[in-house]
Amino acid sequence: MNARLQLAYVGMHPDRRAELVERHGSPESVLDAIERGRIEVPDRARRAAAVPADERLDQLASAGVGICLRENMPDHLAELPDAPDLLFVRGALPAEPGVAVVGSRRATGYGTSLARRYGTALASAGWPVVSGLARGVDGAAHRGVVAAHGCGAAVLGSGPDVWYPKEHEELGRALVANNGAIVTEYPPGTPPNGWRFPPRNRIISGLSRIVVVVEAARTGGALITARKALAQGRDVFAVPGDVDRPTSEGCNRVIRDGALPVLDPDDLIEAVSVVLGPPESALTRESSDEKIDDVVGRTIDELALEHPVSEVLARVARLEALGLVRREGGRVVKGR
Amino acid sequence: MFATVTSVALVGVEPRPVRVEVHIGAPKDRFALVGLPDTAVREAKDRVRSAIVQSGFPFPNRTVTVNLAPADIPKAGSAYDLPIALGVLAAAGSVPPTVGSVVALGELALDGSVRSARGGLGAGLVARDAGLPCVLSVQSAGEARRVPGAEVRAVRSLSEAVGVAQGTTPGAPIKEQTDLPHPGGADLSEVRGQAVGRRALEVAAAGRHPLLLWGPPGSGKTMLAVRMAGILPPLGDEERLEVAQVWDAAGRAGRAETPPFRSPHHSATVPAIIGGGSGMPVPGEISLAHRGVLFLDELGEFPVNILNALRQPLESGWVIVSRKGVSVRFPSSFQLVAATNPCPCGYAGDRLRPCSCSVPSIERYRRRLSGPLLDRFDLRVAIPRPQREDLVGPPGEGSKVVADRVAAARAIQDERGMPNSRLGRGELDGLRWTSGARCLLETAIERFALTGRGFDRIRRVARTIADLDGADPADEPHIAEALSFRGEW
Repeated sequence: MNARLQLAYVGMHPDRRAELVERHGSPESVLDAIERGRIEVPDRARRAAAVPADERLDQLASAGVGICLRENMPDHLAELPDAPDLLFVRGALPAEPGVAVVGSRRATGYGTSLARRYGTALASAGWPVVSGLARGVDGAAHRGVVAAHGCGAAVLGSGPDVWYPKEHEELGRALVANNGAIVTEYPPGTPPNGWRFPPRNRIISGLSRIVVVVEAARTGGALITARKALAQGRDVFAVPGDVDRPTSEGCNRVIRDGALPVLDPDDLIEAVSVVLGPPESALTRESSDEKIDDVVGRTIDELALEHPVSEVLARVARLEALGLVRREGGRVVKGR
Repeated sequence: MFATVTSVALVGVEPRPVRVEVHIGAPKDRFALVGLPDTAVREAKDRVRSAIVQSGFPFPNRTVTVNLAPADIPKAGSAYDLPIALGVLAAAGSVPPTVGSVVALGELALDGSVRSARGGLGAGLVARDAGLPCVLSVQSAGEARRVPGAEVRAVRSLSEAVGVAQGTTPGAPIKEQTDLPHPGGADLSEVRGQAVGRRALEVAAAGRHPLLLWGPPGSGKTMLAVRMAGILPPLGDEERLEVAQVWDAAGRAGRAETPPFRSPHHSATVPAIIGGGSGMPVPGEISLAHRGVLFLDELGEFPVNILNALRQPLESGWVIVSRKGVSVRFPSSFQLVAATNPCPCGYAGDRLRPCSCSVPSIERYRRRLSGPLLDRFDLRVAIPRPQREDLVGPPGEGSKVVADRVAAARAIQDERGMPNSRLGRGELDGLRWTSGARCLLETAIERFALTGRGFDRIRRVARTIADLDGADPADEPHIAEALSFRGEW
C-alpha cells in the first residue's frame, strides 16, 4: 500500500503509471526506479515520491481525505482492467453501482434543466448519481441530487482539495455532507490539467451501471465517457434533441449507434429500473390533487392563448409554491 | 434717476423674484452690472445699449448702475436684457416710471426685438404671486399662460414692451406651446405574443411599480418597455405644471399633457442623469422623467456609480444637487423601468442556445445591479425569446384598452392617497386580505424563502393586481399572480 500511495503522489498520467507498473513488475520497483533516476520524472515529482507514506497518511487525515485501494473498491469498479490502484476520497464511495449523468460543459437551458431533474429523480429513487462536477450538465445533475438530499459522487480531474471550477466548491461539499463522495486518483494539490480529464471519465462510468448523456456536441468529454462505458459493458442512455442543433449532435449520434433514448425523468426512472431493479425507496411521484399535465411542457404565452394571462400566471405560481413545477425560459417544467 | 423692474431667477425649478434696480448717476459713460451675474448676464450691457438706441430711445450718457437683487442667487443667461432695458429707460426718464411695474423676462437682439429665454413659466408664477402683469416674448408667454391667474402679455420688441407696460398697446398674439417630446405612436398591439411581458407592463403601469425586464437579446424587452408610455394615464393639472417647471429649468419649455418618458443611453454622465452642470445646476434625466418613466435599457452596462446614485431619488422622489455655492432640490418622482441581459453574452438560461459566459463573469455582471437597487424592482420579469407561433399569432390588445384599465386602477389608488409602489410596511399591514390570500402568502414565505422586503413587494404588487380587478380585499389569485412576477434572476 505504501508504495502505491507514494507512487500516486508522482501525479503521472494513469496510463503511464499502469504501463510502468507492468514493465517493472510492482509499484515498489517503479518507486525504486524513480528514486534511482532510471525513470525520468520532474524533480518535484521525485521529491514528492520520496515522502514516506506515514507522513502522507497524516496529511490526508488532517485534510479529511481518505484513500481507497483497489481491493477495497466496490466490485463493479475493481473488476475493470484499467481500474485505478488507489483513489483519494472525501466522504464514502457508494457501494452500489449508480447512474452517471454526463454532458456538455457548455450546456443550454434545456440541458441543465433536464440534468437537474434527472439528478433529483434518480437520487429520490435511491440510486447513487455519478458525475464530474464540471460546469453545465455535471453541475446541474449534482445540484439536483443535493436538492433531493440524495447520494452522489463527483469524480474530479484534479486533486481532492482543488475545486474546479472554483464556484462548485460549495456544491462538492454539499455532496459529501449528503453521504456522497468526492473521488479522484490524483493527489492533493494536483491542478486541473486538460489531459487529466479523459482518464477520470473511466472512473465515472466505472462507478455506474448506466451512463446517461444529457446533452453533448459531436466532440467532448461526455462522449469519451459514453464510449468508455460501452467498452466497460455499461448501458448508455441518451437524451434526443433536434437533429440540426449542434448542442445535441453527440446525443443523437450515440442513439443512432445503439444507445437507448430516454425522455422525461419518469421515463428515465423506468428505464433504469429495468437494469438495476425497482428503486429502493418508494418513488416520490407527485401525490397531490393538483393536476399539472395541462401546463407542463408548455410556455406561458401558449397557455395565455387559451386562458387570461393573469389566470395562467396565478395558476403556475400556485403550482410553483407547492413545489410541483418550475418556470424555465418561459416554459413550465415538472419538478421543484 | 432710479427705477426697479421685477424679473425671475430659477433656483433649481423654484422661480424666485429678482429685483432689477437701475440707478443713473453723474454724467460719465459708464455701465456697471452687479449682483452675481454670469458671463451671459454681463454681456447684457452691450445688447441693452444697442437695443435701446435701435428702438429710437436715447441711451443716457451717464453712469448706469444695475443691481440684480437678492445678490446671493446666481443669475444666469440672457433673460435679464429686457428688464434691464426697461429699468434703464424708466430711470433715465425716457418713459414714465410705471413702466417698471411689470415682471419682465427676455433676451434682446441688437435691433431691439425680444427673444425668448429660459424661465417663462417661472415668470408667470412670480407675476401671479406679485399681482403684476408679465411681459414676455411670444413663446415664453405661451408657457406663462399655463399658470392660472397670471396676466400675460407677449411682446416682439423693446418698444412694444414699453407700450404694453404703459398700457397703450395690447401686445402681440401669444404663440401656442408645442408638446414636449413623447415617444407616442408605438402601440401595444404591435407586440406579438409576450403575454407575460404585456401583463407585467400593465401591472407596473397601474401601480407605478419599478419594473425589471430581463432576457436574451432580441426577446422584445425594449419593444415592450417603450410602450409603457402609451398606457399611462394623462397628467393631472398640478402634475403638468410640475413637469413643465422641471423642463423649463432645463431650458426645454413645452406642454406636458402625458407623462414624460426618458431613456438615457448607458454612456451618459452622472450630471446628465442625476443633474448638475456648471453654475446653476440644471435637472438631469431623473428629473426630466419626473411624474413619468425613466427607462434604462441595458441596465447592466450602466456604470455602478450611476446605479448607486439612483437609489436615493428613487426612494424619496427628489434629488439634491450641489454646485459651487448653490444646492438645489429637483423633483425626481419617476417610475423606473429597466431592461437587461441575464449575462454578458445574453443567453444564460436560454433553452436552445448555450451561454458562453463563465460563472464568475455572470456573477460580476449581476453584482453591478447591486442588491439595494435590485431590491427596488417590485416586478422582475423574464422575457424569453419568442417562439415561432408567437410571431405569427394574432395581434395583442391595443394600448388604449390597457390604458383604460390602468387609469381605473390608478383612480382607486388616488382614493387611497398614494400609488401602490409607495405603500410602506405600515400601510401594507393595514390592507385587507382574504383568508385564502393569507394562506398562500404564508406558503410562499416558506417555499420561496421570502425576505421582509420580498414579502412587501409581493403584497404591493398583489394590491395593484386586485385594483385592476376592482377587488378589495385582495384575494388568493392576486397573491398568486404577484408571486409569478417575483422572478429571481
